Parts: sequence; C-alpha cells; structure tokens
Amino acid sequence: MSDLARAVRFQNVHLAIVGLIAAIFIVGVFSSDRFVTVLNIANVQDQLVALALVALAQTVVILSGGIDLSFAGLLGLLSVLFATFAGSDPETFAAAYIGILALGTAIGALTGGIVALSGIHPLIVTLATSTIMAGAALLHTKQPSGSVPIFFEDIVYARFFGFLPWGTLFVVAAYVLVGFVLWRTRFGIRVYAIGDDERAATISGVPVKLTKVLIYAFSGFIVALAAIYLVGRFGVGDPRAGIGFDLRSITPVIVGGTLLAGGRGGVLGTFLAVILLALLANVLNFLNVSNFYLWIVEGVIIVVAVSLFVARTRP
Amino acid sequence: MADPVLAARGMTKSFGSNEVLRNIDFEVIAGRNIALCGENGAGKSTLIKLMTGVYTPTAGEVLLDGAPAVFAGPKEAIAAGIAVVHQEFSTISALTVAENVFLEKEPRTRLGLVDRRRLRRDCVDLLRQLGIDLDPDTTLDRLSVAEAQMVEIAKALRSRARVLILDEPTAVLSHREIDHLFRILRDLREQGMGLVYVSHRLDEIFEVCTDICVLKDGDVTSAGPIGDYDHDRVVAAMVGRSLGELFPPKSGPAEGAEAVLSLRGLVAEGGAPPVDLVLRPGEIVGLAGLVGSGRTELALAVFGAARSSGGVELANATYGKRTPGRSLAAGLAMLTEDRKTDGLFPDASVAWNFAASTLGKGARPLALSPQEEERRSRSVVERFKVVVDHVGQPISALSGGNQQKVLIGRLLENAPRVLLLDEPTRGVDVATKAEIYRTLRRLAEEGVAILVISSELIEVVGLCDRVHVMRDGALVAELIGDAITEDGIMAVAAAAGGGAP
Repeated sequence: MSDLARAVRFQNVHLAIVGLIAAIFIVGVFSSDRFVTVLNIANVQDQLVALALVALAQTVVILSGGIDLSFAGLLGLLSVLFATFAGSDPETFAAAYIGILALGTAIGALTGGIVALSGIHPLIVTLATSTIMAGAALLHTKQPSGSVPIFFEDIVYARFFGFLPWGTLFVVAAYVLVGFVLWRTRFGIRVYAIGDDERAATISGVPVKLTKVLIYAFSGFIVALAAIYLVGRFGVGDPRAGIGFDLRSITPVIVGGTLLAGGRGGVLGTFLAVILLALLANVLNFLNVSNFYLWIVEGVIIVVAVSLFVARTRP
Repeated sequence: MADPVLAARGMTKSFGSNEVLRNIDFEVIAGRNIALCGENGAGKSTLIKLMTGVYTPTAGEVLLDGAPAVFAGPKEAIAAGIAVVHQEFSTISALTVAENVFLEKEPRTRLGLVDRRRLRRDCVDLLRQLGIDLDPDTTLDRLSVAEAQMVEIAKALRSRARVLILDEPTAVLSHREIDHLFRILRDLREQGMGLVYVSHRLDEIFEVCTDICVLKDGDVTSAGPIGDYDHDRVVAAMVGRSLGELFPPKSGPAEGAEAVLSLRGLVAEGGAPPVDLVLRPGEIVGLAGLVGSGRTELALAVFGAARSSGGVELANATYGKRTPGRSLAAGLAMLTEDRKTDGLFPDASVAWNFAASTLGKGARPLALSPQEEERRSRSVVERFKVVVDHVGQPISALSGGNQQKVLIGRLLENAPRVLLLDEPTRGVDVATKAEIYRTLRRLAEEGVAILVISSELIEVVGLCDRVHVMRDGALVAELIGDAITEDGIMAVAAAAGGGAP
C-alpha cells in the first residue's frame, strides 16, 4: 500500500462509491439535458456544502468512538444568533462571525467535557445539548429572522467559471486539512486510538479526556461554520435550520466506510458518500421521483453498506 | 555473580495495617533471567510496582546500579531504563505496528507534526534489533495474539531499557508462539539485559529462566539458581506443601460401569476427522494436546455450542439436535475456556451470576426472587469457600480462582451427569487449584463423568484416570494409569504432522 493510500485510509468501498457516482451521473445525463449544465452542477454543490461540513465533524467524532447528535439544535441556535448580530457592515459581520465560531467551539468543548468527565454515553449528552439549543433558538425567535450583509450573500453565490462556488472550495480545503491532521498529528493518532480501545489508549498514556474535549470542540467549530454558511445561503437565520442534520450527518460517515464503533475509517469515504447522496437526490429529482423515495433509497444504502462492513469485519 | 542492575533491599509494604511484603531482597542481574513465582496474593505484583515507581515502599529501598534510587512514578522508572510488559495488553488493533510501538512517543518534525518516515525507520530498527519480523505498516488486527505480544515488548523497549519485567506474558499464547517469545527473551538476555519473568507456569520458568525467587504471603520462601530446583521444590515453596498433595488419590469408574456419554464418529465443524470417545460415571478423563489441536472445538460440538455431525449418545439415547439449552436440561454441562468472555456477566453481582443458571430452558418461568438468589448463592459461597465480602458484590471484583469457584458451583446447580471442563484452573492460584481438584474428584466419586481439557500437563497427569491425546482434531492416543506421564503425552501431542512446537 502506498503512503498516500495509507494517509487517506483508502478502502475498496471508496472505489465502489466512485463507481456508483459515475453510474448515477450517467443516468443523470440521460434523464435530462438540463443535468449537465453549469447551473445544475453549481446547484448540487450548494446543496451539499452544509451536509459535507457536519458529516466531517461527525466523522471525527465517530472515529473516536463517540457520536454527536447535537447538530439539529446547535445549527438552529447558531443560525438565528448569527443572523441577528451579523448586521450589514463588515465590522459587525466580522464580530458576529468570530463570535459564532467561538460560541460553537465553546458549546462543543462543554459537551466534550461532560462526555469525558461524566462517563455518560455521548448519545445521551449530545441529545440533551441538542434539545437545550433547539429550545433556546425557538425562544430567541419562532420565525426565520435576521439578515446578513449583501456582500456575504454575494460570496456564497459567487461561482468560479460559472459552476464552482466558494463553498465547494471551502469544503475541499476543510476535508484535506482534517485528513492531514488525522494523519500527521499526534492528536490524529489519538483519535483512532481512543476510538478503537479506550482502555488500551489510557494505559498507553493517551490523554483521553483532553482529546475528547478537543474532538467535540472541533465538532462545534465545524457546525458553526455550517450554520454561518446556511445563513448566507438563505439570507436569514432559521431556528429550524438544523432539523434532520443530526441523523443525516451520520449517513455519509457510515456509507463511506467508517465504523460506527470507532477507530476505523476516514474522511475520504465521507467526502465521496456526501457527493454520492447529493447527486442521487439531484438525479431522482430530474427523474421526477418524489423526495420520499429518496429517503427509502438512502435507508437501503445505509443497510446495505453496513451489512457489507459487518460481513467483512466478522472473523 | 555480577552486581545487580536493579535491586530491592529490605523492601516492606503495608496497606493500612495489612503488611503485604516483608523485608524482601530481590536482585535483577544483567544477562540473567529471574523468575518471580508465587500464588495470587503472594505479593508479586506489589514487588514489581514498588520497583517501578507505582508504589512507594513503607520501608526498604530500590537500588539502581547499587545506588539508592527513588522513582516518583512509572515514568521515572521507564526513564531509568526499566521496562514493564503488563499482563493486560496496551496495543490498539486499529493502529499500525509502528504507531503502536511509538504511541505518545512519535518522532516529530520541528513543526510538531508526526514524522511518518522516521516513525517507520525507528520501528524497523527496533524490531530488527529485537529479532522480530513484522511489517511496521500492518495494523494490529491483522496480527496474531503472539505477534501483538511482540509489539507489546517492542513498545516496552522503545526507549533504551536495561531491565525488562514481563508479567504473565504467556497467558494467551500457544506453545509455538511461546517458543518464539522465549527466543527473543534469550537474545535479550545474551545482549546483557536483566529480565524478570513473572509466571504461574512452572514448565516455562524452567525453560527460560536462570534464577528463581519464590514469594509466599509476602515473604521470600526460596531463591537461587534454577538448576537447584525441580517442579516439586518450587510448588512446595509456593504453597508450603508438595506437588503430590495437590491431587486427591485417583479412583476411576466403578467396575462394569456403562458409558454415560458416547461419541460415535462425531465430526466437529471445520473438516476434523471423526472422533470416538466414551465417558463412564465416576471417571475423570483428560483431553490433552497442543493449543489448536481441536480439543475445545470437540467439547463445544458435544455441548451443542458449535455445529457438528455424527453420533452422540447420552445415557444410551441418541442425542441428535444438540443445543446448549438442551444439553443442560439433559444433564450435560460445560465450563468454557475463557470465563471472562464466555462465562461471566462481569458487572453483575455474584448472586446474579450464580442465578443465571436458572434462566435456561426448562427453568422456572419467573426469575428467582432476590432473597432466593442470595440464599442459593450463599450456600455455594460456603460450600466452595468463595472469598467474597457479600454476594451482592460484582463478580469482577473477585480473584480468578474465586470466580471459577462460582462458575463451577453454577454448573452443579442443575445436577449434571456429565461435565465438560475446558481449562478449569486457568489463571487460578495453586491453593484454589487443589480445591478444584478435590471437588472434581468428589463429584466423580458421586457418579459424575468428567472430561477435562487442560494445557497444564502436571494437571492432566495428576488428576486424570484416563487421558486422550488430540492432534489435528483426531484422538491419536489413549493413556491409562501409570502410562500417563508428561513425556508420554508430549511425545504424542507434538509428534510430526501435528502442529509441532
């Protein structure tokens, strides 16, 4: 295996996903002549940015043996707060931007601290976080409200060569960066170590608690980025912006070959799976298939993907 | 003899009013391998922990190269060149060999990034130096337990060590794997390292160690070059009585007793040859053989926990569709090899673990009331002298020997006619072993037929009326009476064609 393959944690399932993406793409080409247009290709990308970001956060959390279900509430709260304070000039915008990133990170760190110190399963802790945040967001505003400066919307909707939004470049950069961190830093090795065997990691001297706090803080940071992006895209803050993102963030992680039990997998699989899911939704749309079928297809993909891994990992 | 690299002088340790070590002198000498023996609770781990900075002594001192040394913690001991391989593995199966060996000590670049190239190179160098042939980029889940053990040793020796302490390193290894381990240990010794080898297994001590130190109840009862010792002398020093007294006198089946369990051409899954075997009431039959020879598989097939074909007769009736539940109901009980994963509910109480036997088929519809649970488990605790504060204690808090007593008591709850016991005394101290042997003999005298799988030859020889030797899934020899000897068994078990050691 080459160094690059090791660094990106290559698995055969990645080839399978690429194959599926190609197949769906071909179906798309034949389904409509509007499919391969700069407009549609940009559109697909717009739709995957937020999911790609939260799935990236979820990948790292799941690799470490945890799970983060706080995205639904956290996205909503950060979204309305950002839209409230972003104002219309660059100064307030910058302040709100930094403030929201700091708040997301702090809430994540707090969640991680509770997970690390209490011993309560992260599923429970993050579900509680999510509920609290959702309540707080709705207390702040029941309807979508607030705004962002025009220049931010212009950035979100800008396209290089007509089809390449900033969002995509941002997502690619984020995945490359996180992949690099997982491969080339001690923190990255710790994530895998904790996720695979917390007891062995502890007796090997891995600072398990600190690492957990950092992981959930990182997750909160990424979710804040996703919230800011969503506000820019829709022009308002929405307390319900995050609904569904908790479970939807898990799908690409699992489909991409990361083990729910932790310790195995990586960001490349998640990235490919996000593209697969976004493309699938788009093509089904062109085929005039109801969105509800998309849910069924997604569900089937999850079960098939997971049973493939189970078959593979069993002795 | 050369001066010791590491020594304990007058080492005494008390926890509260409980004195667990008294005035111990212990020396680790470069180029020698000293065995540290003793029953569970004799003070072996305490002594190790005192010499590696985990505990501070109540009295006495640690000497490093003859000069007093105080280790404020394990890290200081490691820095002073004292490496320990603990019984519990610290390897992580999702990480590669190199990542495991240098976990938390990864070489880093000036920017603080992990230097992957140097990580691999350092690992290759270390493995070569230790004579371990492993690819640094393989993840641990692709390695055998023995290879993981090698990684564990490499990990302990990643920083320059002069003393290597191994705590029960062979608990999970097969004969062949142990040979490899011993080769590495001999190499290390010849390179001038001082080794301490903590083990229950006397065979191994005689094979790999140069000196021996025996602890009993916190005192050194005997110490010297290994050449001055034999099995009997070591056991006598460990338990205060000789080997012969460990085993109750043999009796064998009653005259003309009819078979209670007959295997007629039983084929365990996985292409093993058909097996014929007979068990009569009142006899203890040993099933000897190397690890991997198919003993456990055979027992699981009889018990119905693994698929098999061919005939089993239980009390003269064909016993075809075997499942563990049906077997228990029919009076066929089994004790599994690994109590931690296949026997115990580790977090549950002693009483609950005991009551689990009433959950099976044919059992009462309602669970036992807590009072009844407690009453029944108390009677077992008393009958088998289980050392426990109260039966509500989690069973994981008990020593291995006491856990095993609870499990054996649980087996007997359903009054079995046939017992299949897979390594019944693994990880059990000598005194408890003797108790278990007496219990088994008493059961046999009451008319139970017992099949004992054991890798400890002394046990097979001392306990069994009859011994079948297994090799590659087949029964290759039957030894009876005086023909049961360690050499006789090993000669057949390890003969060519088998997984020779």
